[in-house]
Amino acid sequence: MASVTVERSGVLGTMRAAWAAMGNFALLGIFVGLLVVFSLTVPHFATLANLSNVLQRNSIIGIVACGMLLMIILAGFDLSVGAVGAMSSVVAAALIVHVSMVAGIAAGLVLGLIVGLFNGFCIAKIGINAFVATLATQVLVTGFLFVATAAQPVYGVPEAFTFVGLGKIGPLPVPTLIFAVVAVLIWALLRFTTFGHYIYIVGGNRTAARLAGINVDRVTIATYGIGGLLAGVAGIVLLGETTIGQPASATDWPLSAIAAVVVGGVPLSGGVGRVGGAVLGTLLLGIIANALNLLGISPFWQPAVTGAVILVAVGLDSYQRRQRERR
Amino acid sequence: MLLEMRDIRKSFTAGPVLHGVDFSVEAGEIHALIGHNGAGKSTLMKTLAGNFADYSGQIVIEGRDCVLHTPAEALGQGVAIIYQDFALVPDLSVAANIALGREPKGAFPGLMPHRALRTRSAREAALLGIDLPMDTPIRRLGVAAQQLTEIVRACSQDVRILVMDEPTARLAPAERAHLFAVMRRMGRERGVGIIYISHFLDEVRDIADRVTVMRDGRVVETNAASRYTVDDLAQLLVGHTDIVLDQAPDRRVAKQKPLGPTMLELDQLAVAGRPGVTLSVAAGEIVGLAGLVGSGRTRLARAMVGDVVSEGVLRVDGRAVTRRSPQRSAAAGLVMVPEDRKISGLALAASIEANMEATALGTSLSRMGIVRRARQRQVVDGLIRSFRIHPPVREKPVGTLSGGNAQKVLLARAVAARPRAMILDQPTAGVDIGAKAELHKLIVLAAAEGAAVVLISDDLDEILGLADRVVVMTEGVAGPPIARADLDRAKLLSAISRVSQTAA
Repeated sequence: MASVTVERSGVLGTMRAAWAAMGNFALLGIFVGLLVVFSLTVPHFATLANLSNVLQRNSIIGIVACGMLLMIILAGFDLSVGAVGAMSSVVAAALIVHVSMVAGIAAGLVLGLIVGLFNGFCIAKIGINAFVATLATQVLVTGFLFVATAAQPVYGVPEAFTFVGLGKIGPLPVPTLIFAVVAVLIWALLRFTTFGHYIYIVGGNRTAARLAGINVDRVTIATYGIGGLLAGVAGIVLLGETTIGQPASATDWPLSAIAAVVVGGVPLSGGVGRVGGAVLGTLLLGIIANALNLLGISPFWQPAVTGAVILVAVGLDSYQRRQRERR
Repeated sequence: MLLEMRDIRKSFTAGPVLHGVDFSVEAGEIHALIGHNGAGKSTLMKTLAGNFADYSGQIVIEGRDCVLHTPAEALGQGVAIIYQDFALVPDLSVAANIALGREPKGAFPGLMPHRALRTRSAREAALLGIDLPMDTPIRRLGVAAQQLTEIVRACSQDVRILVMDEPTARLAPAERAHLFAVMRRMGRERGVGIIYISHFLDEVRDIADRVTVMRDGRVVETNAASRYTVDDLAQLLVGHTDIVLDQAPDRRVAKQKPLGPTMLELDQLAVAGRPGVTLSVAAGEIVGLAGLVGSGRTRLARAMVGDVVSEGVLRVDGRAVTRRSPQRSAAAGLVMVPEDRKISGLALAASIEANMEATALGTSLSRMGIVRRARQRQVVDGLIRSFRIHPPVREKPVGTLSGGNAQKVLLARAVAARPRAMILDQPTAGVDIGAKAELHKLIVLAAAEGAAVVLISDDLDEILGLADRVVVMTEGVAGPPIARADLDRAKLLSAISRVSQTAA
């Protein structure tokens, strides 16, 4: 009798483990499934040129999403990444035209970092809620940018600079390589550094983290700093795509990046999340948009479909979580 | 008789909690209900307030046989309960809170007649002789005023029986006196029967007409309050068997080792406005910090690790910790297991591993900001095994564990940092007996390995079973340490149950 029970619990245990593992890989499964379905049904989808195009188009959001992931694990987010990206590309454009390429890139990145650190400072030290702090920064940065440029785009970036945004190494677009490097770095940060481990605890429970002896403020400020820096990186890549420093660009970044992370199975409540989720979320939304495009469906449909995908993906995840908690 | 409860029984899935309780209240009476945590007094009162649809027994109110299966039914029979954490809306005014749920109707449907509401609430307060700032939001008032607001609200609903759960736990002496005056007046002038739950035995003796003592789901005795002394009541609560359960058999073995050098030292450590506490704890020693909820134990503990600003000196292993903060304390080897694991202890969504390593990561488990992965794996897996944490899976979110296992993770977090001193705030609250025994062993083991331990607990048996010395706190004042040998349950209970140290 006893052995029967043991065996049954063993089988049940295995089944449960399998289910849990499936939960982890469900997103990957959906992604691969969609790839297969689109390859079979959508004309021109499964061509090297198209897939390379999909990667190129989604790399910028992917870079931003990697930073957003950190802030979401920290139980926050950053609405200013779009403004920071636009600022970085405009400032970089101006400096590339008037000073040098190195100075332009450096200035774009440093400015992004500074705005990110400022966001972190407002949230950690002053205690402003992340939504309000980053919303205010976004408006503030956009405002400065419009004043400084009189809302005029900055032209004159040399053609050679487009390598950053449109270039290719083999079949791989340069932005995608940058995205990959960023993703690997963030993965390593979360896995191998104390700072990365702290992000999970601080995001999971600030009070607990503080009482456990973690410098919560420093972790918060550094996390938003990285978020800002990556928005700066994305801004430089954007400049490489357009060669125009456009103050009004990148307004859709914050919400697109949050959507990518959330579709990647990372809850906004903090304390959990993986880089793989953010990357898959980005690509999933990317191939869906691409397929709609190839099928000749009006681009006006795209936001609606994205919205539906977010609701379905997050809805399934939340529902599953609730069922698990009841057990 | 205003209220009679006869042969009340109630079971939860874990087993029966009330084993046939008889309880009565007369009109105009203040009836104290006392008992240990888990004695069944809260369950009895929740039954009366209509929280359970599956109790058995009879409840008779003013001669009417009542079935109280929902809070609305209880309220309909004139029963109201004021819980410890009030049910008020912080941003609404006092007047609005008094009228909550029964706002007066104005001339226009859907529009709130603010003036009518304010006058009515003020009138209701005045009837009780209570003076409250009607327009002030609840948030800006102290505990005492919030309590009075609750009382006015209850009484304005034509309440005949009012249950107050530890109403004085967070009140200053003058506020207590005022509350008692209001309670007496409600009894005398309105004939309201008041059931008053309290841990302050001397207060019970002073204010109550009758006292009912509960233990293990049964009524031990009901009698006129004037017939008891504080020590009588303490003895009744404890029962006649004054044998402390031998919860930690390893304790005696560990005890044979002589205590080490002083590891944790408080020198006039004072939290804002409170007298300083001086105490030294030796390596391998466990000092119990006993006291009622609100006596300042947790505040003192938080001050020790630097989470609350304090004056005075704290030394760990002879070195003073300056500019105290939880971080600097941890670096000096002083760590804490906070009370309430869900709120201030654990990151529930994060993994066992992430929670367990949180404190140690900054010191022994990393080098130049890079996690020493092999070492970290070894420590986490070792603790999961030796603490017998179930399931033994590093990646499992802590929120999915049972209370006992979650609490073990929290203790393991402290132990992983190889601390010189540990402060444990209610380390076994809300865990089952088996896990409790395991946790006790682990605490004893941590002390035996040379940590100085300060143990805060509501569970007297835990304090008596584990501590070498006991410090009793009342109203933020710490008494002198008492050797374990000079204490038994009744003595300890009587010491913590007095309103102030001077009365002891």
